[in-house]
Amino acid sequence: MKLYCLSGHPTLPCNVLKFKSTTIMLDCGLDTTSVLNFLPLPLVHSPRLSKLPGWISKDGTINLEKELKDCAGRVFVDSQPEFCLPERELLDLSTIDVILISNYHCMMALPYITEHTGFTGTVYATEPTLQIGRLLMEEVVNFMERVPKAQSATCWKNKEIQRMLPGPLKDAVDVWTWKRCYSMQEVNSALSKVQLVGYSQKVELFGAVQVSPLSSGYSLGSSNWIIQSHHEKVSYVSGSSLLTTHPQPMDQSSLKNSDVLILTGLTQMPTANPDGMLGEFCSNLAMTIRAGGNVLVPCYSSGVIYDLLECLYQFIESASLGTTPFYFISPVANSSLEFSQIFAEWLCHNKQTKVYLPEPPFPHAELIQTNKLKHYPSIHGDFSSEFRQPCVVFTGHPSLRFGDVVHFMELWGKSSLNTIIFTEPDFSYLDALAPYQPLAMKCVYCPIDTRLNFHQVSKLLKEVQPLHVVCPEQYTQPPLTQSHRSDLMLELQPPPMPYRRCSVLNLPFRRRYERVYILPELANSLVPSEIKPGVSVATVSAVVHSKDNKHTLQHGITEVKVEETADGHILHLQAEDTLIQLEEDGTHIVCDNNEPLRTTLRDLVLRFLQKL
Amino acid sequence: MDRECVSLLPRVCEVLAASGSSLPDDTSLEKLLDWFTGLTKAGTSLLESCPCLLEFISTVVHNTALDPSILSFTLRLTGFVAVTEVAFKVLQESSVLDLVFNLQHWQEAGLWEDPCIRIGWIQGLRTMMQHPKALSFFVQADFLQPLLQLQTDKSLFVASAANQMLAHVLLSCQSVSSVGSNDVDEEGEDVGRSGGSIADLEYSAVTVETNQDYAAVVTAISECLKKSLVPRENTQLHQSLQILKLLALLLAQTRPPLWEKLLQMVADSVDELLVAGYSQLILPLMDVILAAYSCDVNRRAPDQRVSRLLSFMLNIRKPADLIQAAAAFLRRGLHDLVHTAQSARVLLLPLDIITGLNLLTTTADEQRFLMMEQLKNKTSCISLICVCLTNTPQMTLMAADCLPCPPVLIVTAVLSLLKLCSGDSSSPSSSSSGCREVSRNVIGSSKVQKCALDALTALSGSPGVEVKLAEVFTLLVQCLDNPDSDPTVLQKSFQALVQWMSVCSDLSSITDQHRQDLLQVVRKRSCDIRWEVRDSTVEFLGRLAGVRVIQTTAEEASDASVAVLGGCCFTTPLLRAALQDTESYVRASAISALAQTLAASWQQGAALTQEQTEIVNQLLEVLSWDTEGFARRAVVRYFIAWLSSMSSHSCVQSPASSSLLMPSVRSVLSRGSADLDWEVKVHTLELAELLLDEAFSGQRGYTKGNPTQTHPYAVIPNTLHTRTHNEEDVVGVLNSLVQWGVVSALLSGLVDCDRPVALRACRLLITLREVVCPLSLGALDATAAMATVARVTCELPGCGWAREIRKMLVMKAKDANAEGGVSGGEVVNCDDCGEAGQEAASVGGQTPCVSVCEVLRSLDLDERLDVLTRSSDHVHNSPLSLLQDILTASSARSQPDTQQEVIADCY
Repeated sequence: MKLYCLSGHPTLPCNVLKFKSTTIMLDCGLDTTSVLNFLPLPLVHSPRLSKLPGWISKDGTINLEKELKDCAGRVFVDSQPEFCLPERELLDLSTIDVILISNYHCMMALPYITEHTGFTGTVYATEPTLQIGRLLMEEVVNFMERVPKAQSATCWKNKEIQRMLPGPLKDAVDVWTWKRCYSMQEVNSALSKVQLVGYSQKVELFGAVQVSPLSSGYSLGSSNWIIQSHHEKVSYVSGSSLLTTHPQPMDQSSLKNSDVLILTGLTQMPTANPDGMLGEFCSNLAMTIRAGGNVLVPCYSSGVIYDLLECLYQFIESASLGTTPFYFISPVANSSLEFSQIFAEWLCHNKQTKVYLPEPPFPHAELIQTNKLKHYPSIHGDFSSEFRQPCVVFTGHPSLRFGDVVHFMELWGKSSLNTIIFTEPDFSYLDALAPYQPLAMKCVYCPIDTRLNFHQVSKLLKEVQPLHVVCPEQYTQPPLTQSHRSDLMLELQPPPMPYRRCSVLNLPFRRRYERVYILPELANSLVPSEIKPGVSVATVSAVVHSKDNKHTLQHGITEVKVEETADGHILHLQAEDTLIQLEEDGTHIVCDNNEPLRTTLRDLVLRFLQKL
Repeated sequence: MDRECVSLLPRVCEVLAASGSSLPDDTSLEKLLDWFTGLTKAGTSLLESCPCLLEFISTVVHNTALDPSILSFTLRLTGFVAVTEVAFKVLQESSVLDLVFNLQHWQEAGLWEDPCIRIGWIQGLRTMMQHPKALSFFVQADFLQPLLQLQTDKSLFVASAANQMLAHVLLSCQSVSSVGSNDVDEEGEDVGRSGGSIADLEYSAVTVETNQDYAAVVTAISECLKKSLVPRENTQLHQSLQILKLLALLLAQTRPPLWEKLLQMVADSVDELLVAGYSQLILPLMDVILAAYSCDVNRRAPDQRVSRLLSFMLNIRKPADLIQAAAAFLRRGLHDLVHTAQSARVLLLPLDIITGLNLLTTTADEQRFLMMEQLKNKTSCISLICVCLTNTPQMTLMAADCLPCPPVLIVTAVLSLLKLCSGDSSSPSSSSSGCREVSRNVIGSSKVQKCALDALTALSGSPGVEVKLAEVFTLLVQCLDNPDSDPTVLQKSFQALVQWMSVCSDLSSITDQHRQDLLQVVRKRSCDIRWEVRDSTVEFLGRLAGVRVIQTTAEEASDASVAVLGGCCFTTPLLRAALQDTESYVRASAISALAQTLAASWQQGAALTQEQTEIVNQLLEVLSWDTEGFARRAVVRYFIAWLSSMSSHSCVQSPASSSLLMPSVRSVLSRGSADLDWEVKVHTLELAELLLDEAFSGQRGYTKGNPTQTHPYAVIPNTLHTRTHNEEDVVGVLNSLVQWGVVSALLSGLVDCDRPVALRACRLLITLREVVCPLSLGALDATAAMATVARVTCELPGCGWAREIRKMLVMKAKDANAEGGVSGGEVVNCDDCGEAGQEAASVGGQTPCVSVCEVLRSLDLDERLDVLTRSSDHVHNSPLSLLQDILTASSARSQPDTQQEVIADCY
């Protein structure tokens, strides 16, 4: 059993498990942090961004004026932003049988894998994962296509040139694997390969293994996966949460008794408690609005935003923010808000019960009804005529490199009254803000990451007791900035097996057993003899028939009489009335009127003779 | 005793003796016993006053078929009856006593199994045993053994009562023996306190023979203590625990030679118990040792045995037990330098280990190792650290030579611990993996944070810690800024900050950066999502305004709010925003904080700002419209504070503020007295009282506060007579009181349905009456003497309270007319006080006016005060009512037909 690790990002994993005769890809995360090296794509012409000086090396030998721009003391690539793809050289991706998706954030690289690699398998995901994943992909494609950039910068990727560039471009890794965003057509094609599954539904893969998704409590439809054969069990734990937010709670008990547990997707902010961050978010928001400023919240169009809106719904009155408009701007804003209301079976119990009442599960419906929350596909159109300040704007992309958020950064960045509140933990806020410096607006970093923290995961592992744990290497040591926090790492016995990008791990357990079925007729013919009380044995002579990884014992040749001759042996298959004469200088098979049997026997004998 | 009660009691006894199940409720018997207790304490002889009780007891005691609760009641009642020697004799002579307390009698009837019988038996004996005869009775009946058995009864109540009883017996024996042996009781008071009223009784009856009996009792009890102290197996721990409790009780109350005898008897067993090291018994054991030790220390030089035991306790190997023992010792506050220093070292050890600061110069390696091992366990680490922190402030108050390190170092350790809790820093000694393992146990523990903050607050008063102010300030601001701090932690951080600033009044070490950080964090917390946090923040702003500090040596003292937050320009807008909060507690706190913030400007008589005028308008709106009582109460208190500060500094009153204050006060009085919340009304009356104080201060006959509390023979200070009684003055003042609405507020309060409101109003009206038209003058004199004052009138509008007052006045007038009196006819100026007249008056646009003096004299205020002073349930709770209830319940039971419900057919 082997694990191929194609991504180094612990929360955006992409691993391939070879188990029995199957090749299973576990998640398909796309590392988008690479976009931080690119210039923002403004929706409206920005004089500032369009007049940036090009980069020329100090000695003038390298001139990349067209590709690289100097902005706020840092060098950025001036082209359409590119993403860092999972490793594609480690193994032949066309051999992948299935891809299991655990949540909508972990499927963003799907089109890169399913298209143009010869992939012919199936992708398994839950319905909300597929639908919301589609929205997120659609949103990114839309953001990119709205601001087309003909130029594609490649010269800077040349190793010799990259070495000469200033940081952080100089330190960027695997830049040749970076790719531009896919098209909508590729998205549709990739998603057409998705087959929907429900929690605890068992899917047979070629009769060899069975896979089954379990609720992971992190987002709508998010799942962990159990991959098991008759005698082995592998658990794949991706983004999971034990907090009471909107999704169905995490199913922990089904993870028990695993031989191997692959652990990914722990919180990226182990020291930031989500509740505390939510409180920070609200108080900073209220503080800004009271002082007459605007609040910008760069966020994804699905996920934590539902909880943020729910929290604000309760907070608005107490903070006297009743008249402040809240805007949600995204090409998929409407679909996201509406989808969240219809996936009742995937919601937490509390919200599920609301389905039976005449009220929607999420209170953002009421905010929309009362006109407190308004959503628009983009800043163009209706929004521009209805826009009132001071206000709160939720919009993407959290990297601040593309999407409507770029416009608001340009618009509000110069006033110290305004505040930008980062809630998504995926990007370093300082890097995100780099091309906007100097910035007068206040910045508040309240990353809300509801995924398991180290304390919770230690407790979970104590309970489910896997034999071996495999995890990204980042989890096996304290964070670099807080080396004294030994509580922020996994301490297990035996120690977890760490992996990094491009690792190939031999998972430390051997398959010892295989289930074999006995046909009833054959079973009837067995004569067990008791060797000690309760234990009987019988010798079985039969033929193993294997098909679709299912093995069956059938009647074969049972009565064989061996006679010694001067030159060798004669095997007399009595029931078949056949003789096999084995002599030093020749072998004869005497079999009347049963040509297929004769051929089979001939082949068998030849194989054995070869071995001899 | 009430005659009516005496007459009812025989019937009640009959009812109880017949069947107890017809009681109105299960507390009736307890209430009856309470009544008897009261009577006994008042010195009433129950048997003399209620001879029926003897018959009741003898009837009941023979009827074992009765409800056990009645039997238990009878046992306890017998104790009360036999509390005097005379009654005891009567009971003994009639053989009732023997039967009542005869164990065999109850056992044969199968009733002894019922715990209520056992506890009745113990309590009856305990109550009775106030004189030597009862003690003799106890000894001769050989009740000691059963009592010792009951000490380990399965019912905790029984066991505890038996323990108390044993202590009582022993102490009684001690008193009687000492009297009998002519040992002068130099600590008679002690005995009276501890053992009951034995000292009052005559001891002449004590013979040498009984003395021997008592000695036998003492020996038997001591033997039992010795024997049962050490548990033979784990199941006997409960018994040991009981014995230890008893022993602690005895050692604290007995005197030599009994004290020595007891100690001698149990010393070995205590030793054995110490060595056995049962953790559950550590605290009770420490109680025993400390009881012996305190007694000893108070009397003379400590006994060697006790000192040794104490030293042993403070060197136990088990860290958790050791900490408990040290904390118990320190809490006693005994003057013992050696052991105090030892306890302090023990209690500082966990802090020393976890913070890596060298608080202790020397510690036994083994003790340190054991403690560290214990601290590696998260649960015990947190509990040990919390015990240490709880005792830290007390340690810093100890003599310097007892402390292993200066208080400043302890403050540093607490700060370091708080940093560990927030996960911000590693322990300085983190080089050792052991320390790292320990310190990570406290990361994120809000329990430790809370204890540490409490300790930090208390440590502010320790000598020499002022130098830490800046560091404390920084850390507390970090705590306040931390998104993960829970509301209690934030509240405690705010409290600590205020405390440190109030103690270290010199803020010169606080930099501008500190101030900026605090401003930022206060602004953020005032918008917090949790109302508790917003409330704490607002409270903090108010408290800070009350702290006087010096910023630099050159500057004058100012309040801390000005010094660190920039004063009103920062706080007032925040507080005004908090007035709009959805949570009423926050609104109320904001109003109080505003009062505290503005207090300084009121006191200085500063000119009123536009903002203050707006605040007043906002507050009056809150009083009128706020749906919650808290906020409205706070508004009235705001005006009370304002008015008080103006009154106390009347010399610097600014006319501008008066021009806003007095009309506002008038509005507050009228709105507050019409409020639905009784506390708002009481506060409104307080405001009215302030106005009365202000108006009549120095006026003859005016006493501040509660008139009924003044002693009739009290010497009236001369200052009260300084102002001459000038009728014109009084008229002027009374007129202003009427105009401000004080009189209306008082009158409306008088007829309020809430007793506290009516009571307060009544007292104030009496005070007012005594100043303007004292009753002592008599009607005719009054008319003549106060002809001018009587012309001061107030309006009685058509609303509820005024109608009530009018009715009362009319009634009074009718009564007076009927008696042929002269007063009262002219009380109400309108011709007809009936409904028609009122209507006519209101139709005509006139509001009827009445003379204030006449109203005050006609309202029978003294009678009203008398009624109001009694609690509202005084009728319901009287013994008479209880007896009547018992009789009624019994008759209802005997005539079940009358109780049948009306059954209606429903189709």
